[in-house]
Amino acid sequence: MITLENVSKIYYPNVHGLTNINLTIQPGEFVSVVGQSGAGKTTLAKLLIAEERPTRGKIMIGGWDITKIPARDVPFLRRQIGVIFQDFKLLPQKTVYENVAFALEVAGIPSRRIREVVPQVLKIVGLDEKAARFPRQLSGGEQQRVVIARSLVHRPRVLLADEPTGNLDTINTREIIELLQKINAFGTTVVLVTHNREVVNSLRRRVITLSCGQVAADHAEGKYLLPS
Amino acid sequence: MSLFVNSWRIIAAAWKHFSRNLWLALTTVFVLVLSLLSVNVLLGVNVLLSNAVRQLEDKIDVSVYFKSETPVAVVEQAKFFMTSLPQVKDATVVTAEKALEDFKKLHADDPKIMSALAELDQNPLGAVLIIKARQTTDYPFLLEALNNPQFDFAIESKNYDDHSDTINRVRDISRSVQVFGAVLIAVFALFSILIVFNTIRVAIYTQREEIGIMRLVGASNAFVRSPFVLEGVFLALFALGVTSVAVYSAAVYVDPRLGGMFDGANAGLVAYFTAEGWRLALIEGGVLAGLVALSSWAAVGKYLKK
Repeated sequence: MITLENVSKIYYPNVHGLTNINLTIQPGEFVSVVGQSGAGKTTLAKLLIAEERPTRGKIMIGGWDITKIPARDVPFLRRQIGVIFQDFKLLPQKTVYENVAFALEVAGIPSRRIREVVPQVLKIVGLDEKAARFPRQLSGGEQQRVVIARSLVHRPRVLLADEPTGNLDTINTREIIELLQKINAFGTTVVLVTHNREVVNSLRRRVITLSCGQVAADHAEGKYLLPS
Repeated sequence: MSLFVNSWRIIAAAWKHFSRNLWLALTTVFVLVLSLLSVNVLLGVNVLLSNAVRQLEDKIDVSVYFKSETPVAVVEQAKFFMTSLPQVKDATVVTAEKALEDFKKLHADDPKIMSALAELDQNPLGAVLIIKARQTTDYPFLLEALNNPQFDFAIESKNYDDHSDTINRVRDISRSVQVFGAVLIAVFALFSILIVFNTIRVAIYTQREEIGIMRLVGASNAFVRSPFVLEGVFLALFALGVTSVAVYSAAVYVDPRLGGMFDGANAGLVAYFTAEGWRLALIEGGVLAGLVALSSWAAVGKYLKK
């Protein structure tokens, strides 16, 4: 379960990224966080992976208070939350296989286990035949699937997708969203940060709308509301 | 097990990164080689100058000319006395007969001198005692020692005065070479340190996004840092290898070609780099690897704070 209690983020000197956010996300939920640019979506995502620290309030993930998480514990948190980015963030000098395996290597997983898990995950995302390719040799959709595979290898309880379809065409967007739904069906909590109206409306799942750093709406089976 | 696995992964990652970024690696190695070369060239020049000074010092001696009628026993006594002094490296006697023979050979084409010699019914030349000191600073003492009442009455002249200026000049050159060489090497070493530090910083700047990604997927700071530090050590060792081959090859090529400056003897570069090679490699390699590792550690750290 993810809980945010009165969370605010103020950037120097006095820019309010988020103001008094109170949220609870249950295990296994598929939640879309929507809003216009500057609404605070990315700030929220950064707080969840401890890339930023809240100025006020409390953040709990699976009973772990990460509000003031020490720097040395951040890698452990990130191994438990799968993260997908708009700009993929793949290591360009590593192959598809190595990019996925790297997430396990950093956690000290034995090589034999890595050799078992990585091909399985690559098969799930349909890239088992492109394991030896480098990211530059893949399309945008394929690169995003590598990122999803990388985020899945730890069997995370939470998958955070920050604008995962922002750089993709309609067909690839559809494929990525279907993949996220499949992952969610296996019990992983998915937090989808997006401003893609079609995607959100087609999901028919919980939608949290942010506006000016505050929760403007939170509907269990919501739609992307156009700003009034 | 985990430590072993992680260590192996770090080494493998460093090696893969090195080989897959070959152009960047080669550029960095090139700069490192230039830095090492500048230090080694200066060391070589220092060796050449020191050898030249030593050769000049070897040429310096005191020639003691005895009167023509001096008995051989007196000359031998003078030689014995001088040889017994710890400051004397070598003392040789050229007998009056040998001196005459050499003189005739030298002036064989000069009929005037040869006919003048023929007029004389006895050898006009006396024996010569040639004394070499261990150090040029010892010559004034040796000249003093020649004022020995046991044989100084038989001495006609000494030619030290002709060399005193040379000796002083050589001594000055020798001292200047050592001081100037040391300063120059220190300055070049400092430049090299700055160049190496900046080269590594630039190399890591190009990989800053990669460092961020590693952290995002849960790599600890040590896991991110270590391959970069190790890769830096690879670069340093590679540069050391290239420099060693280049310096030794250059010494082999240059040594005999500088023979003219050293009266046909070789310049001593090969001998120096053969004798000191391992020690130099250890010092230069150690300093460079340490420097590169430290630079990498600091440069990566900048991107780990974010």
